[in-house]
Amino acid sequence: MAVAATISQRKRIKRKAPRGFLRRVFKRQKPHLRLEATCDLLVHLNCLLFIRRLAEEARTDACKTKCGIIKDQHVLAAAKVMLKKSRG
Amino acid sequence: MADSDISDNEPTTRTLLRRVLDTEAPRTPRRRQSTRAGVQRTPLGTPFSMRLRSQTKTTAGRQPHRARSIGRLAHIQTRGQLKEQTPRTLLENILLTAPESSMVMPESAVKPVPAPQVVQFSRRESSPGSLELQLPELNAPTTLAPGRLTSGRRKKRLRLSEFQQGMDQGLPLSQGPVTEPPGNTGASSLSSSLNLTFATPLLPQSVQRPGLARRPPTRRAVDVGIFLQDLQDTSVATALPGDRTPVATLPTDTVLEDTQPFSQPLIGRSPSVHHSLPYPSLSAERTVSRRTRSSGPGLQNNSPGKPAQLLAGKAEEVDALAMGFPNTSSSTSGEDGVEPLLGGVGEEVEERMEESMSLSEVKEAAGAQASARAEEPEAHTEVAEAEGSWGAIEEKEPEGSSRDKDTEGRTARPELASSTPEFPRARQLEFLEPAPPTSTAVLSSEPLEPLSARLPTRVQTARPRLRQDSYKMGLSHYAKLFSFYAKMPMEKKALEMVEKCLDKYFQRLCDDLDVFAAHAGRKTVRLEDLELLMRRQGLVTDRVSLHVLVEQHLPLEYRQLLIPCAFSGNTVFPAQ
Repeated sequence: MAVAATISQRKRIKRKAPRGFLRRVFKRQKPHLRLEATCDLLVHLNCLLFIRRLAEEARTDACKTKCGIIKDQHVLAAAKVMLKKSRG
Repeated sequence: MADSDISDNEPTTRTLLRRVLDTEAPRTPRRRQSTRAGVQRTPLGTPFSMRLRSQTKTTAGRQPHRARSIGRLAHIQTRGQLKEQTPRTLLENILLTAPESSMVMPESAVKPVPAPQVVQFSRRESSPGSLELQLPELNAPTTLAPGRLTSGRRKKRLRLSEFQQGMDQGLPLSQGPVTEPPGNTGASSLSSSLNLTFATPLLPQSVQRPGLARRPPTRRAVDVGIFLQDLQDTSVATALPGDRTPVATLPTDTVLEDTQPFSQPLIGRSPSVHHSLPYPSLSAERTVSRRTRSSGPGLQNNSPGKPAQLLAGKAEEVDALAMGFPNTSSSTSGEDGVEPLLGGVGEEVEERMEESMSLSEVKEAAGAQASARAEEPEAHTEVAEAEGSWGAIEEKEPEGSSRDKDTEGRTARPELASSTPEFPRARQLEFLEPAPPTSTAVLSSEPLEPLSARLPTRVQTARPRLRQDSYKMGLSHYAKLFSFYAKMPMEKKALEMVEKCLDKYFQRLCDDLDVFAAHAGRKTVRLEDLELLMRRQGLVTDRVSLHVLVEQHLPLEYRQLLIPCAFSGNTVFPAQ
């Protein structure tokens, strides 16, 4: 299949998803639940998007205070907003 | 003519002819022979000279025959010349000139060999064989040229003789190298006689060019004890970086700080022991001690796993090296000290240690542990001195987490002191006891009581420590991405904050997925659950679908796994 062919061509994935870590975390949190095969990739995607938004928010806060460095209070404020947004 | 025939059948014809000739010879009067021989000498110069030469070559024993043979030959020759080729003369000439048969007439060099053969052959014949004797002798030189048939044999015989000669000479040669290792004198003598020397030509070369002379590598006997110590030190140094107070203060501290019983006899020994250790070991011990102290109060569980593994590995290495070596005192002593000191921590290490029940292995591990633990040279040297079977001690606490703390050792020591009835063990314990207290005293670390309290807690905290590490590692992975996305310098505290946020986020994520799966009546989280989650989060909208996000943010390999694509053969992967 083409998938097999592409896998053979693959050398090294940049920005690999820590699939084992994600599965372990989910299992620790919800041991009675089971995660599907490729769901952890989407979870990884979700995390990436969350972090992206969090970083942008933190950068905005740091720029607002005209601070050249992102400090923890910026991150904290950004996190509050983001967690509220991503409540689901 | 019949030469060829006669030559082919020479053995038989010759003998026959000779018989005939001999039978006829007696008819001729001998006087004539003598007179005729003298008269006929001149015309028969050349053949007669040849005969003379051949006769001279023959042995002296045949001289009595020679006269007769000469006479007869001369008579024959004269007859041949006088008579016009009678059959007798012809046959005689043939006998004279024809090539010898195979049985006789080898090369001139081997004439003495064939000569007796010929003589024997001739003597076999009933006839006196003067002619026969003469004939082969005469024929020897004449038949050289025509005698090609026997050339091979002559060569072979020559070779044989030569080979025999060579063998006689070669035997000592062959024996020389073989016997040289066991006995050089005889072989050397033999070889020297044959101008063969097995000695390395170092001297002449060195004399000519001393710079190019190759000296044999000077090899010193490997000191196993020092080697093991170095191994332990290096392993300890690599595993536990750190520094420590100078060792010089330790002995005094031990004397002062030691409050345990049986410590006084150690005072006398400590200085002696102190000197024996090499300096690098001290540094390694220092680093080990420092690391243990730092790790002691803070993190207990982290070390057992790693040091156990390291120690086990070291134990194996050292064990392999020190197997059968008598100088395992250092390792053994170290182990003795370490094992009793380390109590109950590192269950995994325990198992490993117990598995390798061999004393040497345990000794190795203990030695490594002791080196790691006994941050001081004293402890190390003490351990080296002490020797003994550790059956009891090994079974008790074969621990690898020696590095974790000095305190542990201290608490364990009093226990061990009571338990070890044997004197060497007691000595080891005594040695070890002052070592950790000194280290702790130098650092002014915590007192003994809380240490004992920590001992039971260490086992419990060992496991969760690993989980926390891996979890933190995973979070830090995402924190790095955060710093990348931010594109701005960040503080380390900010990163820690990010990790906390991620932790909360994960918890929320799992809860939401659980709710969605339960809402759908499933116990397995599927892709649609995640898509719903992302939709609720606002990531997936009517404009932006999940596939778009996958394409944008995930690598190609993951995209292939997530988004169904049509392939050749009317197939779709992943199957929907």
